[in-house]
Amino acid sequence: MKPLLIVKKQGVYGSLQDQGREGYRAFGVPRSGPMDSVSFQAAHTIVDNATADQTSFEMFIGGFEFQALNDGIYVLTGATCLCLLNGRPIEMWKTFQLFKGDILSIKSVNNGSIVYLTPKGGFQTDLILGSKASLPMVGSTPGVGSVLYGQYVAALPLTRGLYAPYRPYFHTAITVRVFKGPHFQLFTEASRQQFLSSPYQFSGGNRMGYYLKGNVLDLKTRKDILSEATQFGTIQVPQNGQPIVLMADAQTVGGYPIIATIHEDDLHKVAQMRMFNTIRFVLMEESYAN
Amino acid sequence: MKQIIEFPHTMWISQYTIRFAFDEVISQENFQLVQQFNRFLKKMLHTNLIESVASYHTVTAYVKHQVDIAFLQEQWLTMQRNAYVGEATSQPLQIPICYDEEFALDMHRVMNVTALPFEAIKKLHMDKVYSVYLIGFLPGFPYLGDLHSQLFVPRLTKPRSLVSAGSVGIGGLQTGIYPLDSPGGWNIIGKTPFTLFDIHRKAPFLFTLGGQVQFYEITKQAFLEIKEKECSN
Repeated sequence: MKPLLIVKKQGVYGSLQDQGREGYRAFGVPRSGPMDSVSFQAAHTIVDNATADQTSFEMFIGGFEFQALNDGIYVLTGATCLCLLNGRPIEMWKTFQLFKGDILSIKSVNNGSIVYLTPKGGFQTDLILGSKASLPMVGSTPGVGSVLYGQYVAALPLTRGLYAPYRPYFHTAITVRVFKGPHFQLFTEASRQQFLSSPYQFSGGNRMGYYLKGNVLDLKTRKDILSEATQFGTIQVPQNGQPIVLMADAQTVGGYPIIATIHEDDLHKVAQMRMFNTIRFVLMEESYAN
Repeated sequence: MKQIIEFPHTMWISQYTIRFAFDEVISQENFQLVQQFNRFLKKMLHTNLIESVASYHTVTAYVKHQVDIAFLQEQWLTMQRNAYVGEATSQPLQIPICYDEEFALDMHRVMNVTALPFEAIKKLHMDKVYSVYLIGFLPGFPYLGDLHSQLFVPRLTKPRSLVSAGSVGIGGLQTGIYPLDSPGGWNIIGKTPFTLFDIHRKAPFLFTLGGQVQFYEITKQAFLEIKEKECSN
């Protein structure tokens, strides 16, 4: 492994992410992996990383600063933010080179909330339960002073990138497809309608869950349900009636009623939500859910 | 003649997730049924199954592509007619616990609620062979049941901000062990020197969903000796 960067300043939250870990959910370990798989995947396509090397550093909002410990090729994807290389703005979605000693700063974000920093060859780290994704409960999340490693790879002959029209734009109001949850029918008719017809506002969150605020969702009768498996995209409703979307690092089982589950292909849109953004839910066709 | 077990209620949770639900009750029978169905699914779906998570009454299957539910139903019935899926035959895992006052943080609360002396509480706690009904909340946190009904004590109204790893708690109908230092609201009655979750261990997790567990008491001296051995490994 080759030392690539040292973390000089830490923003809200940073973690290494690959495609996530499989086979440990039955032991209570979440799948993890990128919150916005589209921006993540685009990065690896741009720097042409093999599947096994697809590991990025995922950052919530800005505030991160890195110093290069070696030369390397990188790309920044995801939320639109001001990125400075030795104090000068650089373009996202396009490869750039860092030379030893260079300072890369991720400043304010003005569209979306999650940014990926991806080196050619991917970040390298010891596997934890078969994956390079950080597992916060066991204290493997990089912080100030942490060194991020990569590998020795041939430089790219040309600058590569994604043309501007193809780059995602993160809308302040989104609509996502949902499947009925196992407890959908336990909600009042009025609540089911509210859920499918009124917008919900993002009111905070992290890699475990996004909190939404809107019309209160009530059960027909106050009833405790038994805990069962959840996933990235599960929308559960605690006693206060305000939905929570479980995200990539969420616990594997939950005991709150599940009103719906977000379609896997729409999760990247949810991931990039930020304060005051709104989300609407549209039900997938009945036939799909048997 | 053995009664045919009906195929569980089936529902697609999303494109790649299927939920199979039996009756929504906590019971040993339901538990055996869920475990049996989980084994059946693993066998039938084979490489199409990424993983599955069983709970008290459900098995949730995470799959790579669509599954023919009608075919599964047919197989479930055929299998019951012809072969025996088998039960978990393994011996209960023996877990040492030190019930010393130093570790039993909620000793007095539990004694008050149950109106039992602590000796009786320990005995009731150790008498049962528990099943791992569920693992969750934290990596490797086992929800063990059924707890003796005399030990039903509501969870703390204000959870502790820190419960140390290895702490053994009772909460509602269940008992469990904290695999990691974490906040928690169960009534703590003892501590195990065993490490429940270690990513560097060959078998990272001590407990397996569907497994069986029994507790035995150790002294504080024995606790410290085992702990030391665990740490030097």
